[in-house]
Amino acid sequence: MAGSMKNIKLRIKSVQSTMQITKAMELVASSKMRRAKERVEQSRPYFHVLHDSLVQICAAHQDMRSPYLKKREGGRTLLVVIAGDRGLAGGYNSNLLKLADAQPEVVCVLPIGKRAVEHYQRRGANLLSQEYAQAADMSVGDCFELSRLVAASFLKGDYDAVKLCYTQFTSMMTQTAQAISILPVDIQPTDEQKNAARRSIMLYEPSGEEVFDSIIPEYIAGMVYGALCESIASELAARRTAMDAATKNAGEMIEHLNLYYNRARQAAITQEITEIVAGAEH
Amino acid sequence: MTTFHLQVVTPDGCAFDGQAERVVCRSIAGDICILARHTDFCTALGMGEAHIVDAEGNRRRAACMGGLLSVVNGEAHLIATTWEWAEQIDQARAEASKKRAEEILRQKNLDNREYELAQARLKRALVRTSVR
Repeated sequence: MAGSMKNIKLRIKSVQSTMQITKAMELVASSKMRRAKERVEQSRPYFHVLHDSLVQICAAHQDMRSPYLKKREGGRTLLVVIAGDRGLAGGYNSNLLKLADAQPEVVCVLPIGKRAVEHYQRRGANLLSQEYAQAADMSVGDCFELSRLVAASFLKGDYDAVKLCYTQFTSMMTQTAQAISILPVDIQPTDEQKNAARRSIMLYEPSGEEVFDSIIPEYIAGMVYGALCESIASELAARRTAMDAATKNAGEMIEHLNLYYNRARQAAITQEITEIVAGAEH
Repeated sequence: MTTFHLQVVTPDGCAFDGQAERVVCRSIAGDICILARHTDFCTALGMGEAHIVDAEGNRRRAACMGGLLSVVNGEAHLIATTWEWAEQIDQARAEASKKRAEEILRQKNLDNREYELAQARLKRALVRTSVR
């Protein structure tokens, strides 16, 4: 009896220390979460204006023949995959990688985040670059470098389309893995915007097309950065939820173990009394 | 002099928001200067020094790299990828980055990508060191 009591005590202790860790991870995730949200909000006006300008240029130049806009025949796809750096975030990484694996005709992959890099290394996929193994440390500058790389190899004709897999942050409770198309750029100005463009006398220098082509890499960088921020926020939210559940489970487990412990202690006392009583009667 | 409303926006937030008398920056086609009552205008930005003369006549210099400049209805928006005020630039770091890029470029066996990256780094460093 004393042996089982000791065992239970040890288990309670170990569950308690696990609970401390999960609790701490949850707190860290929620405080980082706030910063991640701020980051998205700070960069939003910049990319918003970029997008508006692109739409305006498109509306003003209906006959534009930018190589970034042209739809190509083949389906060879470059997949940019944004996953997390660490595990213990519920289904975050596995959902995303499952979605990424379901994409058709992927000839080349650009993984971002340690989990994505490891996943594709294991599969022996054709990797464009392995430099972005730290999703959380990526700055805006890294995104620009990456987008220049992607845009240049797209123009060279290495692939016909570029897709981006990331996790959309819908709310604290729901994050959905998504695949969106980046290149060729899909911008459809509305009729209203077209009419407004016809009336305006916007001066493009040196020309609308040239301005458009030089903004595109920045626009892609904007999309990647936006997706990255969303993914980081999603990862933290997923980790927070997972750790919250783990903490709750640990609490329940401790309760159960405490019950067993008390029962075992009571049994030990009862037995001792029985033994003493039995000894006194003789 | 007459002034106009100018906003300088970067991915890291807003760098300048207020009345300006003049803004000079380098576009992909060369240096341009925007004054008040400019016609509606849009151009992409190159890499180079930029400066703003604000309503009080103070001249502030900055390193500006990439992005877009647009003037709509007399309001100017400068959407820069990087915008660093002259006093914020870490000259020692820029010098070090320049040296490192030059060293890489001196090597003979570079592939295309490494070469491009090093050259882009050198360009950025040169812009930063030229703004004093």
